Amino acid sequence: MKKTIMDVLENQQKLDPDITGDMEVIDTEEELIKQCEEMWKDMEECQNKLSLIGTETLTNSNAQLSLLITQVKCLTAELDHWKKRTPEITPMTEDVLVTLGKEEFQQLKCNLEMVVSTIQSKNEKLKEDLEREQQWLDEQQQILESLNVLHSDLKNQVVTFSESRIFNELKAKMLSIKEFKEKLLCTLGEFLDDHFPLPDGTTKKKKKNTQESNAQLVTLNEIIEMLINRMFDVPHDPYVKISDSFWPPYIELLLRYGIALRHPEDPTRIRLEAFHQ
Amino acid sequence: MSVLRPMDKLPDLNRATVLLVGTQDALLQKLAESMLQEQCASELRVHLANSLPLPSNVNRPRIDLIVFVINLHSQYSLRNVEECLSHVDSSFFLGKVCFLATGAGRESHCSVHQNTVIKLAHTYRSPLLFCDLEVESFRVTMAQRLVRMLQICAGHVPGISAVNLLSLLRRSDSPPSKEL
Repeated sequence: MKKTIMDVLENQQKLDPDITGDMEVIDTEEELIKQCEEMWKDMEECQNKLSLIGTETLTNSNAQLSLLITQVKCLTAELDHWKKRTPEITPMTEDVLVTLGKEEFQQLKCNLEMVVSTIQSKNEKLKEDLEREQQWLDEQQQILESLNVLHSDLKNQVVTFSESRIFNELKAKMLSIKEFKEKLLCTLGEFLDDHFPLPDGTTKKKKKNTQESNAQLVTLNEIIEMLINRMFDVPHDPYVKISDSFWPPYIELLLRYGIALRHPEDPTRIRLEAFHQ
Repeated sequence: MSVLRPMDKLPDLNRATVLLVGTQDALLQKLAESMLQEQCASELRVHLANSLPLPSNVNRPRIDLIVFVINLHSQYSLRNVEECLSHVDSSFFLGKVCFLATGAGRESHCSVHQNTVIKLAHTYRSPLLFCDLEVESFRVTMAQRLVRMLQICAGHVPGISAVNLLSLLRRSDSPPSKEL
């Protein structure tokens, strides 16, 4: 049994390289065919021997042991075979070698071409990736830069905002308000001066002589100022005593147009209407 | 001849034949299709059988590899395989037989314990492969693996024999000792 298995193995392994060895050159081809036929004869012989061996089936109980024994036999046979075997090469004719070499190279070339193309495509893909990443990086850097600029701007703004800027702005506002107030006062004063002058003239002198003998008259402007000051200085008692220096027509004017009010109990005192409340 | 023998016929040129034995026709069919789709230098032949012995009147090529497919969801499939084993010559078990257990993924459906199959494979000193044949990707991978094994068993791979492969495929861990 050992022998036959060995033979079979040998034949199988011999057969293999020659199955593919379809040679083009005629004389070597014939030689190869001859070799193959010899091998085939060998195989047939082995086959005959094998068919003589009876069959042996296994049951669960005996399977392990007998299988192990046959396995050992086979493996030792194979080992022996490998030890004895001198690697048999295909006939060393030039044609065969050249053809085989050509085939081998062709195969190698095919494989290498495939490798090259895959590597190229991979490279391209990597390049694209790199470009995309680079672009992305640039964009990110730009964003970072602009953000940085924005950040520093904001920082400066915050600093000036908290200190000098607000101060300056308030100052400016105050100044403009003050100016405006000044202007208002001036125009009001001018208006009063223009339209409510002090009585001097021939027509009024007669009255003056009779009623207000010696008192120095004050302008309407001054009267109003007095009333205003009194109102804001002494808010709980804003009444001003009517003195001789007030020209009575003006007092009448103030009272009539509701700018001033008379004290409910003391007719000699007036106050400014509370416009600000 | 009722008993299958590995070397009872001369090999055909560059042809490798596998015999898939199992009770589920549809699964075997799918596995066979997957195997035939594999790129392979040898000319593949896939034979399917529900059980052994095979009918003797049919002219069939030499069988290089027998794959017993056991469905873990069915006790019947296990018993069927066990019965089949008695119709296989002992020299087949020198690397030309392998067991394929399917359905281990859905444990709730299993009526055959994995250990039973492991024990069976161990008794017959043959490799045991697990694969859920219902899942296509698994089936394709398994088909690839089986094609490689088949090529070796048919002697189409120089330098390695079926016995050789068997000794390489052996489970490194010792089998569960409790049932020995």
